[in-house]
Amino acid sequence: MSRVARLGAFIVATLAILAAGVFIIGSKEYLFRSTYQLKAQFDNVAGLSVGADVRVGGVHSGTVQSITLPHKPGEKVTVLMNLDKSTHEVIKADSVASIETEGVLGNQYVAISFGSSGQAEVKDGETIQSEPPLQMSDLFKKTSGILDSSQQAINNATLATAHLTSVSAKIDSGQGTVGALVNDKQLYSNLEQTTTTLHTTMLQAQTGVTDFQENMEALKHNFLLSGYFKKRGYEDSGDITANRIAALPQGEPLKAFTFTAKQLFDSRDTAKLKNQKALDAGGNFLAQNQFGFAVVVASTGMEGDIQKDLALTEARAMVVREYLVENFGFDDSQLKTLGLGKQPGSNLDADWGSIQILIFPPGTEIPAEQLHPASNSSVTDLARPAQVPATATHQP
Amino acid sequence: MLSVVNSATGLVNGFFEWFGNLGIFSWNVLKAGATPPYEWQELIRQLDEVGSKSLPLVAMAGAAIGVVISLEARYSLSRFGAKSMFPATLVYSVLQVMGPIITGLVICGRVGAGIGAELASMKVTEQIDAIEACAINPYRLLAATRILACILMLPLLTLGTDACALLTGWFAQTLVEPLSFHQFIQAGFKGSTFNAFLPQTFKTAVYGLIIGLIACFQGMRTRGGAEGVGRAATNSVVLGSLFVILADVVLVKFILVVFP
Repeated sequence: MSRVARLGAFIVATLAILAAGVFIIGSKEYLFRSTYQLKAQFDNVAGLSVGADVRVGGVHSGTVQSITLPHKPGEKVTVLMNLDKSTHEVIKADSVASIETEGVLGNQYVAISFGSSGQAEVKDGETIQSEPPLQMSDLFKKTSGILDSSQQAINNATLATAHLTSVSAKIDSGQGTVGALVNDKQLYSNLEQTTTTLHTTMLQAQTGVTDFQENMEALKHNFLLSGYFKKRGYEDSGDITANRIAALPQGEPLKAFTFTAKQLFDSRDTAKLKNQKALDAGGNFLAQNQFGFAVVVASTGMEGDIQKDLALTEARAMVVREYLVENFGFDDSQLKTLGLGKQPGSNLDADWGSIQILIFPPGTEIPAEQLHPASNSSVTDLARPAQVPATATHQP
Repeated sequence: MLSVVNSATGLVNGFFEWFGNLGIFSWNVLKAGATPPYEWQELIRQLDEVGSKSLPLVAMAGAAIGVVISLEARYSLSRFGAKSMFPATLVYSVLQVMGPIITGLVICGRVGAGIGAELASMKVTEQIDAIEACAINPYRLLAATRILACILMLPLLTLGTDACALLTGWFAQTLVEPLSFHQFIQAGFKGSTFNAFLPQTFKTAVYGLIIGLIACFQGMRTRGGAEGVGRAATNSVVLGSLFVILADVVLVKFILVVFP
């Protein structure tokens, strides 16, 4: 190779390198493309440098040509940008320039947003709107505030956890009520023992109650006490309520037998039957005829205590019912009792009260039993024997 | 005491005399070089000597520098978590600083010593006087062509150094962490501007001027025999390197002011 050729090759090679460098850098600076210029003004460019990228929609489309400080305080820093002509189609008058950072600590660049389609086009050298840059220092200030408050929250949580730990430690070591419950086996076995004992006690109590009932039954028949029950006319007060109804049913009775208490009972204050044969007419009727159901209705005159008289009438009705059921053959579930207590009436006082056997035809509804014994207020007009038609009264 | 003062005065005198002679020499070279007839053949021979024959040397120097910067920069940047800045760092340091100064120093060593020794030996063997006797201006034939060759070739050699340094820098990087050359160039030249590239490259013409001028000056003022030739060669390299570095100090500031 001749000297000249060698020299020529050297020069060509190195100039090629120069050309490559020029083109690489030139393409970054948009020297070889048609460009236009835009301005944006910022209070603070956050370290943006000349030659920095300008991105439109994230695409590198230009460079920062110059950054000039204002001449007066209160004015803004002007950033002059060279932009590729092609971006003219997307950057409109309402596009906004902002200074952003690549990553957290990367290079600054200017980002320009797309404009709206209806907006006017930007002219060469026009100033577009801008957004203040997000500065890391501001971010750190905010983060510091957040960290402070979270520190406080964590401290509180730590304190709460410490309390919880202390409480669970106490429970674990058996201190306090909950601790004793959790840890003391004896307490549990005591409880179990108590339950077992209670169960046994209950069984014993049941046996005791049964024994007591038997004892009471025996006592009733004891000669010392039997007189009281005999005099009273009945032994078991529990039977009084067994067949009681609340009120008389609606409708006319099929048949009614009326007796005076004087006629039937031993004295004015007892339910002891004296002349039970007088009831046989009613008993025979019940035994021989079809009927829906029958009610023994008892009442007293206006003398005496309300509660005592009410109990007396109920007892009398029960005693009469028992006599009829024991001596005549009919379905005893069809015979009910009703004690009315005090009732007004001219001859009720003299007669110690009255007893009626009212027989209702089939199909008559049986009124439901009243839970509480009838009081004065619950004795309605319907329940009064005065309603019983006088025509149906049969005097034996 | 008097001898100390005398010797100090002598040193200062010698210093200024050297600069004075350099000034006269420069003027003579400029006067001779700027006026026809031009020595084209000699210029081409010197361009070849300074340029193409130096290329392998600066290429190898550049390649080595590229690897060194690559390794060092990657290590340092990793420590600061800025590894993504690596290509830009490499490009910046090669184009701005290392390429020009390494080329200047290497050429100063090779070409400066060569010119110094050649002209010195011509001087001591009275060849320069013979040329003068043939009515040929030795400044035009010997000095102007060499100095011009240095001025012209240094920027081109710098481009060669830069290219080799970037290639080996990328190569060293991609062996450790694969990175496409295109990506490397894109990322590396991201923040580069012409102001960072062209003035830094063409400032080496000043290095060329310094190297050629001092080597020719030292060669053509040689006295004495073989010893003088050796001293001339040494002085060419030493003073040339020193002035290249000193010139760089001034040029850096100058470029920053003129090309912000």
